[in-house]
Amino acid sequence: MAGAHGQTQRRKTSTHESFLRHGGFLFARLSLALCAGAIAVYAYAAFHDRLPQGGGTTLGYTLGALGAILIVWLALLGVRKRAVSDGHYSLKAWVSAHVYLGLSLIVIATLHTGFKFGLNVHTLAYGLMLLVIASGAVGVWAYATLPRALSNNRGDTTRKQMLGEIHDLDEQLLEAAQPLSRPNAEIVRLSLEGTDIGGGFWRRLFGAYGDCANDHAIALVGPALQVASGREATALRKVDQLLRDKAKALGKARRQMHITALLEAWLFVHVPATFALLAALLVHIVSVFLYW
Amino acid sequence: MTQAITLRLITRQAGGGEIVRVRRIDWGEALIGRSPEADIHLPDLAVDMEHALLQVTGQGRVTVKTLTGEPFLVDGKTTSHVELEVVRGHVITFGDFNLLLGQGGEGDVAVTILKREEEPPATSASLFSLRATMFGRRKMAWTLGLVILTLCLLAPLISPALVGHARIHPDRQWSSGPLSKAHAFLEKDCQACHAQAFVSVRDQACLACHNAGGDAAKIDARVGREGSPFLPLLISDHAPHDLLLRAMPPPPTVRGRVAGMFETAMNHPSDRCASCHREHAVLPADPAAPKTADILRAGKPALVVVNDCAACHSRLKMRLPSTGLVDTPSWDRHPDFRPLVTVGFDGPQPRLQRVALSAHPQEVNGLTFSHRIHMDPTGGAARQGQVLGAARGYGAALTCQSCHRPDGAGFKPIEMERDCGACHSLAFAEVGGQLKTLRHHDMRNVAGVLRGALPPANPPVADPAVLRRALAPGGLCVDCHTVTPSAGPLGRQIAPVHIPERMLPWGDFNHAVPAHSGVGAGAAACADCHQARTSDRSQDLLIEGVATCRACHGKTEHETTAFAGAQCSECHSYHQPGESPRTGQDRLFTALGLPKGAKPRGLPTF
Repeated sequence: MAGAHGQTQRRKTSTHESFLRHGGFLFARLSLALCAGAIAVYAYAAFHDRLPQGGGTTLGYTLGALGAILIVWLALLGVRKRAVSDGHYSLKAWVSAHVYLGLSLIVIATLHTGFKFGLNVHTLAYGLMLLVIASGAVGVWAYATLPRALSNNRGDTTRKQMLGEIHDLDEQLLEAAQPLSRPNAEIVRLSLEGTDIGGGFWRRLFGAYGDCANDHAIALVGPALQVASGREATALRKVDQLLRDKAKALGKARRQMHITALLEAWLFVHVPATFALLAALLVHIVSVFLYW
Repeated sequence: MTQAITLRLITRQAGGGEIVRVRRIDWGEALIGRSPEADIHLPDLAVDMEHALLQVTGQGRVTVKTLTGEPFLVDGKTTSHVELEVVRGHVITFGDFNLLLGQGGEGDVAVTILKREEEPPATSASLFSLRATMFGRRKMAWTLGLVILTLCLLAPLISPALVGHARIHPDRQWSSGPLSKAHAFLEKDCQACHAQAFVSVRDQACLACHNAGGDAAKIDARVGREGSPFLPLLISDHAPHDLLLRAMPPPPTVRGRVAGMFETAMNHPSDRCASCHREHAVLPADPAAPKTADILRAGKPALVVVNDCAACHSRLKMRLPSTGLVDTPSWDRHPDFRPLVTVGFDGPQPRLQRVALSAHPQEVNGLTFSHRIHMDPTGGAARQGQVLGAARGYGAALTCQSCHRPDGAGFKPIEMERDCGACHSLAFAEVGGQLKTLRHHDMRNVAGVLRGALPPANPPVADPAVLRRALAPGGLCVDCHTVTPSAGPLGRQIAPVHIPERMLPWGDFNHAVPAHSGVGAGAAACADCHQARTSDRSQDLLIEGVATCRACHGKTEHETTAFAGAQCSECHSYHQPGESPRTGQDRLFTALGLPKGAKPRGLPTF
């Protein structure tokens, strides 16, 4: 009995529940209720009032205040995630609420606008909010799908081991290339000195390594082998093998970086757009009441 | 004797510390290269197998020359052949290796071989994280946020102080939507309406241009300076503001009451001009809106009806006990007309009173007149018209227009000499074949002097005996005037006369529209509303009740060809009490008749 009980406990604690399913979709249901309520009240108001809806009506101000509070609270996730805590207000609950309440803003803010848009700071704030939500949605997709791809690519190796393997292959290449003549040694130098493992932002994001120096080196070794002989040929063959091994190791590390980049890239839109949104929101509120 | 070369190979260890290996070459020259057989073995792929030769050429002197043509560095400078003094401590560089020359013991040339420090391999897992070289997330976030704050908030706030009358108006980005065509010229002057920061637009801002009680010339000049292509419509209060507030019913729904409390708390009252006339808003076209109403015409601010006419004009007495108005909850329950009737005179001034038609009011207008006699097609008046002939504007039986001459929406005031004088001659004597005619307008003066009411500065032009005859029963004046006894020298006097131009002061009836002037199918002719042909007495009030209006107004096209709207605005204007609203089309036609260069009042639209 005791053993079975212990097993159950272990299974429970090891069951992973994603932030999307947190609390039996508690926040998803809460958000849906919020949206449904907002739509119902809006529909009622739009049906009964002949006047156009918008931010200037009682409902408009209410939705606007709710939206602004939500935006500020959602932005506070950036502060909350840096504070370590546990208990009922876990970070997972925060993220779950962040995602679903963030999505509910599409409805709340759109109803707040009364479907009235223009070239002004008000629509700027709305547009930035949509940008933040869209990038956040990409983030949710990334967090839901990419960690598996990341894990599959990595296999049993750690990221440190991936880099170590490349470094080891570089040392072997240096060793193996010692007998080579200058032209062939230059090929190896191309790989040793010209290979950029990760590359810049866009290279990582798109996994674009078409001009990899190691690949160039491999392409040059083949013709060199055809004219080489003796010790030179033996060394070149070894170099050729090592270059190919390095290409594999590089490919794996770069895939890891590419997937990591996809996993992180949305934050490069989400975070700056959030700051821009907070600024535009402040401008929106101040300007509306300044020129009331 | 050839000097020997002492080689000191220093290898740095990973954990710190160095290993030093020393070797002596006795023959005074050393081969430098990647080849394992080289005396100075430099395992660097940038170095050739047998790259260069170092030779001792004299006491403390060496030469270094390339064997393959590939250059090397001496003290950072590229060269292929060089002669050096070792005491100077030169550094020769091949690939990643530095050869430091120096004086060794026993007169040897010392060559210290050092591998340049190489960066440790990047094996940190953080290498996998995405980093932007140009802009980090945080830097980009702050930059964007501050740029928006600066361009969208600070720039508009400080711009009026900095740039004054600049062409760029940074606060236009705060506009929530374009202004209506009527106010489009104010697009660049937000503060024309938004006069006080954090205070909703007040009526003073609107009345600065639209107050009918203000100095119209000043207002027109001000609006002209702002760049308006037309003059503003001037409006009057519907009623005193405090009465209006008391007359307004509370919102009928809980939501409306909550909204009311909310608006009061937010200092955003709903009794402002801007509560109904919404700018920066496009109101969708309402197909149910009457064609004659001005409220939804293109180019005007959207009109939001906070309270419609019926809302206030229902149970008004409960909210405003002092009111004399009768409730009008709908067109069907529009009370019957209460025309302004002349019930008597206070001295020469008519005493006017509103009396319901149902009370069959009688007018005391000081005249004796029978419409029936004048309009009888076979009577004396008709005969007189034929005698007078077309040359004098008659020629046949009299019509309404023979006396009531159309003028705009109404008629010219009746003038005795023009409208009656052709038949009712005021000739009183014949001198030398010429008739001497009393001037009707002077009659009052004459009578006044004779009554002793006026000073004799204006002496009578007629013989008092003539006047006495005229005032006597059967006399000239008695034909048309009420004559009463008087203590004056003539013994009688003409009672004051008052012919009202309008009997319905709060409703605007336009006689000129085709439907009211007998033009078109089903249109009303004069006789449809005025039973003049059967009226024998001038006391008869010749207007019909509201039921006559309902024959067309409020009917559908299936009921009558002369169907017309039943909106309050057909006859009543909120801002011009007593007039019906003028449409943009009305203003357009008025504008077409204006002299060149003159600005129309109000926005002319179709």
